[in-house]
Amino acid sequence: MGLRKMLPGGGTPATTGGIFGDGSPTFLTSKLDFIVNWGRRNSLWPMPFGTACCAIEMMASAASNYDLARFGMERMSFSPRQADVLICAGRVPYKLAPVLRRIWDQMPQPKWCISMGACASSGGVFDVYSMVQGIDTIVPVDVYIPGCPPRPEGLIYGLMMIQEKIRQESLTKHYEHRAEDPRLVAQPRANAVEVAGLTGPFGNSTQQDQLSSGEAVTEDAESEDLIP
Amino acid sequence: MTPDGKKTALDAVDEGPRPSEAPSASPAGSSGDHPAEHASVSALVERFGDAVLRHSVAAGDQHVVWIDASRNLEILGWLKDDPEHRYDMMSDVTAVDYGGGQTLEVVYQMFSLTHKRALRIRCELPLDALEIDSVVGLWNVANWLEREVYDMFGVTFRGHPDLRRILMPHDYAEGHPLRKDFPLRGRFSRAEQTRRALDQSIEHSYLPEEIALGREPQEVAPVVGTLDSDEGDEVS
Repeated sequence: MGLRKMLPGGGTPATTGGIFGDGSPTFLTSKLDFIVNWGRRNSLWPMPFGTACCAIEMMASAASNYDLARFGMERMSFSPRQADVLICAGRVPYKLAPVLRRIWDQMPQPKWCISMGACASSGGVFDVYSMVQGIDTIVPVDVYIPGCPPRPEGLIYGLMMIQEKIRQESLTKHYEHRAEDPRLVAQPRANAVEVAGLTGPFGNSTQQDQLSSGEAVTEDAESEDLIP
Repeated sequence: MTPDGKKTALDAVDEGPRPSEAPSASPAGSSGDHPAEHASVSALVERFGDAVLRHSVAAGDQHVVWIDASRNLEILGWLKDDPEHRYDMMSDVTAVDYGGGQTLEVVYQMFSLTHKRALRIRCELPLDALEIDSVVGLWNVANWLEREVYDMFGVTFRGHPDLRRILMPHDYAEGHPLRKDFPLRGRFSRAEQTRRALDQSIEHSYLPEEIALGREPQEVAPVVGTLDSDEGDEVS
């Protein structure tokens, strides 16, 4: 019954055999965007890329106490080709970076990415030779979840932010939102300047007034290529 | 400080980190010289004489013996095969870089399952000649452990069957990360590290010989008697 209230436009009265029972409409009118986004955001299949303790919290979120299945995400997709949202949970060493990038490249559009926890988002305490300083240098990230590790509520909130993001998308702006240059397959997402800004010593935590390119944030500084 | 003047662990925090160049307490330790308490130590001194350099006791009952690095294979082989000692388990092969240009030490931690005795053997190597004989011929487990020491410290093990990097990428060009002269964040810029990381070939890390653990890959026994011939085609 919830769907009848949610759908804009409703339907026209019919005599019998309506889609919600006798006397209800036999057809619906709606916006295509709404239907598509409604379907997408309620059947997000996560691709779990768990490398550390954040993955334990991710497993807890999928278990019965927190129950990700309530949001249509019970099907953890261990194959990137059948997944919608990449959850990178844990630290990523440089040796693993090409694996993460290939998994992202193998996921079909539309796809989203969650960076779960401090290590995935910024390298965390591992500001050392072997560790990727934020997976946003490797793949585009939609939602960063802070915490070390985040509680399952944090992950669920992040996934709901993904749902909210999907709700605001439109098929007419599809390329604007989601297109990726095929030449960038297996390439770092960020250019050299941006990586330097993101990954300088303690970069992500002390440069919050700066864009990742190193420029100070001003009102009109948001250019398209800086938004992951 | 406790009231009676003893240092606590928190005092070390207040003192801050100590630079690696600072002169440290001698790695030889000075907790006493009583080889007689350990049968293998006195036997080593008796049999190899000059090749046994020093001896000390660490952590209460862990006997540590420094030996001549050029004779490590002979001495370790004797310790393994002599029925009085029989150190048949190599628990760990690792190395320590004390920094400040001091010698790097390769550490062999051994245990005798027969006699229930542990022994630690250390070999000093000068930083400009990091070479030592491999003990893979004695303990097969030393294969990966020596690869790790090679990867992290740059010690070359003569006679190792497969001396490649094991933890870092195979084409890692920044050096050996656990050496004291290695900068914490690596030698290249983060942008260069990211670029090189994504240039790696993933398949190289999953070669069949990597996964086979030094053996031929095991053949899986064919499934017998559960499938009809028709279904067999479908499955394959």
